[in-house]
Amino acid sequence: MTGAEAPLLAATPAGLARRWQLLAWLLLLALLAVVGAKLVQVSRGSATSGAAPLFTLASFDGTQHTLQAYRGKIVVVNFWASWCAPCAAEAADLEQTWQAYRERGVVFLGVDYVDTEPEARAFIELWQQTYPNGPDRGTVIAQAFRIRGVPETYIIDQRGQLQAPIIGPTNRAQLSAVLDRLLAQP
Amino acid sequence: MIAALSLPHLLLADLGLSAALLAFCSALYAIPAALRKDARWLASARNAAIAPFVLLTLAVACLEGLLYSGAFGLQYVNAVTSRAMPWYLRLTALWGGQAGSLFFWCWLLSGYSALVMLRNWRRERDLQPGVTVVLMVTLLFFLGLVIALENPFNKLWVAPAGGVSAGIWQPAGTLPFAPNDGRGLNPLLRHPGMIIHPPMLYLGFIGFVVPYAFAIAALVAGRRDDAWIRVSRRWTLLAWMFLSLGLLLGGRWAYDVLGWGGYWGWDPVEIAAFMPWLTATAFLHSVLIQEKRGMFKHWNMSLIILTYALVVLGTFLTRSGVLSSVHAFAQSAIGPWFFAFVALMACVSLGLLLKRWELLRGDNALDSWLSREGLFLLNNLIFMGILAACLWGVMYPIISELFTGQKVTVGPPYYERTTGPLFAVLLLLMGVAPLAAWRAGAARRLGRAFWKPALLAGLLPAGLLLAGITQPAALLGLWLAALVACVTLYEFYRGAQARARLTAGGFWHSFVHLVLRNRRRYGGFTIHLGVVLMAFGIIGIELFQSETQATLAYGEQLSIGQYQLRYDSLVEFPASDGRVITRATLNVSKNGRVVTQLFPRRDYFTDSQQPMTIPAVYSTLPEDLYVLLVGWEPAGAGGATFKVYVNPLVNWLWAGGLVFIIGTLVATWPERRELQTAAERARAAQLAVRSVSAGA
Repeated sequence: MTGAEAPLLAATPAGLARRWQLLAWLLLLALLAVVGAKLVQVSRGSATSGAAPLFTLASFDGTQHTLQAYRGKIVVVNFWASWCAPCAAEAADLEQTWQAYRERGVVFLGVDYVDTEPEARAFIELWQQTYPNGPDRGTVIAQAFRIRGVPETYIIDQRGQLQAPIIGPTNRAQLSAVLDRLLAQP
Repeated sequence: MIAALSLPHLLLADLGLSAALLAFCSALYAIPAALRKDARWLASARNAAIAPFVLLTLAVACLEGLLYSGAFGLQYVNAVTSRAMPWYLRLTALWGGQAGSLFFWCWLLSGYSALVMLRNWRRERDLQPGVTVVLMVTLLFFLGLVIALENPFNKLWVAPAGGVSAGIWQPAGTLPFAPNDGRGLNPLLRHPGMIIHPPMLYLGFIGFVVPYAFAIAALVAGRRDDAWIRVSRRWTLLAWMFLSLGLLLGGRWAYDVLGWGGYWGWDPVEIAAFMPWLTATAFLHSVLIQEKRGMFKHWNMSLIILTYALVVLGTFLTRSGVLSSVHAFAQSAIGPWFFAFVALMACVSLGLLLKRWELLRGDNALDSWLSREGLFLLNNLIFMGILAACLWGVMYPIISELFTGQKVTVGPPYYERTTGPLFAVLLLLMGVAPLAAWRAGAARRLGRAFWKPALLAGLLPAGLLLAGITQPAALLGLWLAALVACVTLYEFYRGAQARARLTAGGFWHSFVHLVLRNRRRYGGFTIHLGVVLMAFGIIGIELFQSETQATLAYGEQLSIGQYQLRYDSLVEFPASDGRVITRATLNVSKNGRVVTQLFPRRDYFTDSQQPMTIPAVYSTLPEDLYVLLVGWEPAGAGGATFKVYVNPLVNWLWAGGLVFIIGTLVATWPERRELQTAAERARAAQLAVRSVSAGA
């Protein structure tokens, strides 16, 4: 048999080479280690009750915001949509409140519910909102929070605990009252 | 006076629990019995492996009785049913929560085990102990989880201070407690699709344990032949059919209920169910090569082990809270145990596989990449590529979070970009492989067979190009789908024609007989046709979906494509099961002619404070008009907001799914020859029994 006619795959490989065996074990153990580490993390996180559902929001400017990354800070999550009239009514107050509290480490996230992107961007432009806003793709975040409609606002404290939700449009006085109380906590 | 469970309820609960415990004991006994090297012990093990099915059937019947009659003093019944729910939802609430669905899972597993045990073992006697042990260990694990950690028969107990706890035994100082009503099932799950989607998915998932058990038994016994493959293939096909059906129904449910105009969101849980489907599909292809040419034995063994490992891993990820998703179950204590089971199973399987690697040598070598075998191997590699992309997408957020503290999720764009081209190559292979010859593949010969269908399929994109559609991805995708359609239909035609000539029968007569005589081959081709239809549907909705939204007052209208929608009225009324329905009426005309009225609505479930947006759909063969009511002013007349999608060709996706399942049924159905031999075997066995009894 000449070299050109040699089969592409040998018909009778001996036992698998040691380095491939090693690689298979390493891959399996790495996978198990990652999943196991995550399991430990998850079981620790669920110890307290009333924890806010964890989510990731990809804002319109392309940044990813995860709730876990803001642990230790107060997070205000506002659900809105460009087609929602009461959302327009509260938009200016939300922006003003954020401007007033951002120095003190309060995070605002706007979650855009069932909307189209051009209209949503126009809404943000119109109300000059500068805090991160992003679409809720597949209404995943809305379902996690079990929202009833828009607007709704959820405030999450420094330890990731949910405060009483604000159903319907909110305003600066209402938000300030909650934020001041949480900031005063040790 | 606090209400307690009534006596019949108490008896039912205790009977169900006792039956489950006995099933556990029986499965436990079957393992050492199967390992004895003695035929009588093996027969006893077989009976002990069948018994759990009988016992668990009784236990499931008890639980169904409790769910149906509203035994709200049981923790599980209380969590998933309520008085307002109709009877069929109360019955299907069996798989509406963690504890019940795990129990249901055990019951299905015991059913599969019993079916396997009842088969004729004469030819694979040396595999029987291994198969029994694998099945029973799996059953013990899941049943153990149910009994120890997620017991659906847990009762509620109330302390004098007011705290309510759940458990089998009465804690000291508490009283039995039976609330007057339950909390009820999550409204999102109150949909016909949800009634059959989980059982199909479970039947698929659990079904893979059978081929896995045979594979492991073959490794342990050190068998070199293809006995395990012959047995496993049909079980794999059966499980694969249920899994495909489960995935399809899940897509339909998402389309009907989740209200975002899509059917597949690349949600981690969807991917967890999709990954074993990928490896099983690869297995079903490469197994053909092992049967015909004795090659790819390593591949096949690895694929079936990987399929089952992915089933267990996917179930673990979903049920332990490691992955957060719309589908996720409430967190529970089963995580660490499940993890231990996954780790043990994976390590034992890999160890055995590597130990027996040499035994699995192929009988033949691959001669050419352009041969049928070569193209099938390529097909398998592509499936593995898609699997790698999916696995990375699921694991990446976990890995990134562990190392950087930031959770970076990958969304649909990642999956679409990585798997899209691979799916395109798969379509191409689907068109080329049936044309390739076994063993020797020459480029020129393949080219001669290929150019005619390729050119014919080119007519479709060429026509669309003239019609003004210029998206390259769409044109390429449609060409590939049309290519597969041409090649597959030609295979049917050629076969029927040849048969008609041979038997001098009519064309259609020969066609039917051709399919019935070669169920595997033509069932497979039917599945390919289903995939073509689905590809058309997916290209239509992914690349040509259009959407708009508008806030309308009464009498105002919006347009999208050829449709005009006029908003006529809005009503709000309570339904009998405790939800408040807000429903809009829209008058739909197409090119100026009134075609239908649509009623998009929002249901608000007051007991669970959860809304559910239910789209109204005007469905035609070319496209769906899909309307959502997303918001409204309290007075109604002030205006309501609608989000409207036009989803082209989406019905082709569902139709393709149907063809796909029919094809799988054709391929799974035993051929007449096999039925005959099975009947002969049964007759022979009868004769043997008679002669034995005559001798006695």
